[in-house]
Amino acid sequence: MQHSQKRITPPRLDVERVELPNGLVLLLSENHSIPSVSINAIVRAGSRFEADEKAGLASLVGALLDAGTVSRTSQQIAEAIEAAGGQLGTFGDYQSSGALVRLLSKDAGLGLDVASDLLINATFPEDKVRQDIDRRVAQIKARLDVPRTQASDVFNEIVFEGSPQHRPPIGYEGTVMTLTRADVEGFYRRYYVPENTMLAIAGDIDKNEVKSMAEATFGKWPRSAEFETPQVPQPHRQTSPIERFVTASKEQVNVVIGHLGIERKNPDYYDLLVMDTILGSSPGFTSRIPRILRDEQGLAYSTFSNITSSAGLDPGRFIAYIGTAPENLDRVISGLRGEIARIVEGGVTPEELETARLYLTGSFVFHFQRNSQIAEFLLEAEIYGLGFDYLERYPELIRAVSVEDVNRVTRKYIDPQKLTTVVVGPVDEQGKSVVSSP
Amino acid sequence: MTTLITTAEAEAGTRIQTKSFITRNVGKAILKNGLTVLTKEMHDKPVVATIIWYRVGSRNEELGQTGKSHFLEHMLFKGTDRYRKGEIDLITHLNGGANNAFTWLDFTAYYFTFASDRWEAALEIEASRMRNTTFVEEEFAPEKQVVEEELRIGLDGPWEALENEVWATAFRQHPYHWPTVGWLEDLEAASGADMKAYYDKWYHPRRATLVVAGDFDTVEVLQKIEELFGPVPPGPVIAPLNILEPPQRGEKRLVVKKQTPVERLLIGYHAPEVAHPDSYALKVAEAVLSTGKSSRLYQRLVERDQSVTKAGACYHDHIDPSLFYFQAELKPGFKLADVERATFEEIDRLKRGDISTAEIDKAKRQIEASLVLSSEEPLQQATLLGRYETIAFGEHVPEDSRGYHYLDTLLERVAAVTTQEIATGAQKYFTEDNRTVGYLISDGESGAKERDLAA
Repeated sequence: MQHSQKRITPPRLDVERVELPNGLVLLLSENHSIPSVSINAIVRAGSRFEADEKAGLASLVGALLDAGTVSRTSQQIAEAIEAAGGQLGTFGDYQSSGALVRLLSKDAGLGLDVASDLLINATFPEDKVRQDIDRRVAQIKARLDVPRTQASDVFNEIVFEGSPQHRPPIGYEGTVMTLTRADVEGFYRRYYVPENTMLAIAGDIDKNEVKSMAEATFGKWPRSAEFETPQVPQPHRQTSPIERFVTASKEQVNVVIGHLGIERKNPDYYDLLVMDTILGSSPGFTSRIPRILRDEQGLAYSTFSNITSSAGLDPGRFIAYIGTAPENLDRVISGLRGEIARIVEGGVTPEELETARLYLTGSFVFHFQRNSQIAEFLLEAEIYGLGFDYLERYPELIRAVSVEDVNRVTRKYIDPQKLTTVVVGPVDEQGKSVVSSP
Repeated sequence: MTTLITTAEAEAGTRIQTKSFITRNVGKAILKNGLTVLTKEMHDKPVVATIIWYRVGSRNEELGQTGKSHFLEHMLFKGTDRYRKGEIDLITHLNGGANNAFTWLDFTAYYFTFASDRWEAALEIEASRMRNTTFVEEEFAPEKQVVEEELRIGLDGPWEALENEVWATAFRQHPYHWPTVGWLEDLEAASGADMKAYYDKWYHPRRATLVVAGDFDTVEVLQKIEELFGPVPPGPVIAPLNILEPPQRGEKRLVVKKQTPVERLLIGYHAPEVAHPDSYALKVAEAVLSTGKSSRLYQRLVERDQSVTKAGACYHDHIDPSLFYFQAELKPGFKLADVERATFEEIDRLKRGDISTAEIDKAKRQIEASLVLSSEEPLQQATLLGRYETIAFGEHVPEDSRGYHYLDTLLERVAAVTTQEIATGAQKYFTEDNRTVGYLISDGESGAKERDLAA
């Protein structure tokens, strides 16, 4: 086997963090390899702050940020960015919301002007609110066209019961239809405030120049008098196995197996990252689940498992996924459950550990190729307190993980006796195969 | 060693002025066995991307044998005389790299990305699997199931189902008739011997382009490439494919039924191949119609009519004439025929030349900027260079746009497009006789309702 013993210098990022007088956190990183810039203006709010009966509100607010401001119509907003060849996206997700702008670097000032306008001065015209609610109702229906999404939605309803994460961020047809402009305005006024906002700018910029631009645009945003971060109800780990079969007229069955996961700040995160790499998350077919179920048994095109990729402010989920022909259903369920049990009971080998550590330390450089990736990293470092020297420390964090660490955290966080199993496809409610449409 | 390499480009002094930063500092060499090598040395990121392109895709397949190019792509990860099964992935993994491959109508490509202190395994693997993939019989059956599962994912996708039917209807003779993954029935009938024969026909240096982009030393790399690939025989000369789709004489219409809560519309017009003089005006038309929220289809269908959740236009570069197509996903309660009519009205506006200068300028800037914004990674740049080297070939492609130089002239040609050319292009290609209209409707299990099938 050939692999390099040389150690590449970890990538270094030149990062500057500035807190504006109004509480907004500005994160800057300068590099000049491509004449482009990414601007991520992010509010720490999302569907985790909404009530069940308002499901879909944060997502609706995020989508409507560019529907008009005090001084611009929706069309003027789109024209401003697009006439410069740029790209603007606005969103509201589970734990964050905001605007993402990508532009040629000469247009960075325009990007800050528009992004600040959306976060400070959005007006949410009544007709745009109605129109977007209408469109969302159709998009919610269309989720049933993607069996993998449907299986994931059903799984979340079970595993995250009692916490806001059980809902899809887009909400339900029934709740979205009842949302009003007043709801949208209320959420925006409450959470879109400077002390709850981070602005990450990465790319071909002059930091000092961009800092002044950011102060001139976002700096005039007044602090909110009464802002406070709400408490979010936390989910509970299930105490017994759960199975759910959902009938859908499809070629494949989509299977999701797992249970509640961990928070990003969990100190065992890095040990579990190594576990993920060994069990089901490495590219190609080197990890156990893809190697055995796909490469050796030919049961699927797509199969994987992970617990760390969904770790956030709240606990994410441990999942193993596979999509396969209905006749393989029993084999894939016992195959996935078997691999989950095997890693918990039998642990991992020193060779597997070494392979995973080499992969994780060697591939880290690829997380920092694009300006949008760098901007996302700056935000994660800020949210989870990773420190901007994280890039230099990461290889050591991974190299410190031992076989005992992996085995300990696997036993601690993965429970083969208490798994939720969801199947969507041509099966009946007992999991028996039904004839699919031709 | 380097003496064996013939430098195909003119010397630096007479080199064509490059206009795109993507082609800046690109070197081209052709080995004696015909392998084309493109290098782009750049040291701003400590990574190296390698990608090898074979000019073979579903375009080169035959009826009853469809899907072979894609299946073969899967088999090239199964081992060679030098690498056991799983070893290609393991080497990638141990070195912290990534690898994958993709197949489309015109080509198959394989890539690796590695940190720049450990990337040369990529060249060794590609040199080995170009001719020495083993095709072990016991590997064939499980991988065939994997490919069948991949194909089923597509069968479950409503857009895929509709696209397959529209292309199959629009192309009667040309191999763009079938999808890249092939027809399930053909795949089921494929044997290991078939795959080996297909591999022996197409995988040779003379049909390949190797692109290396990133943090390396060009002189050293060219030596290494010569050492690894130089000894491979050039392979047979295969006459160029010359299957022409005759002009369509009359509108074609079709309906696909599927269990779906959302109806979809796809309209395809036959449109010219890469680097065709008319193709640049159509690219600008595509951006005017479909790029961003200020685009025409968004403003008309999403904002004004409020009849769809999304709408767009799509025109990709291919070796042979392909389709310029329009897509829309309908909101419940709206009629496919009405959205179809609204789309035609927007097309008619282009035909009348009803486009402002500001709109055209915006479209041109969008094309230019998207090239920059989608080229941040060495792999993205290597992919663009290799793709055009592979598809923009032949006498009909103007010399200054041939191969990767297509990217040099692209922006210049786009910049020169006039309102009149967009109108003329729309009048020439977006005609009733030249179009295929596909409806995807519910099969009745989820909210079927009456509808008219004709516009």
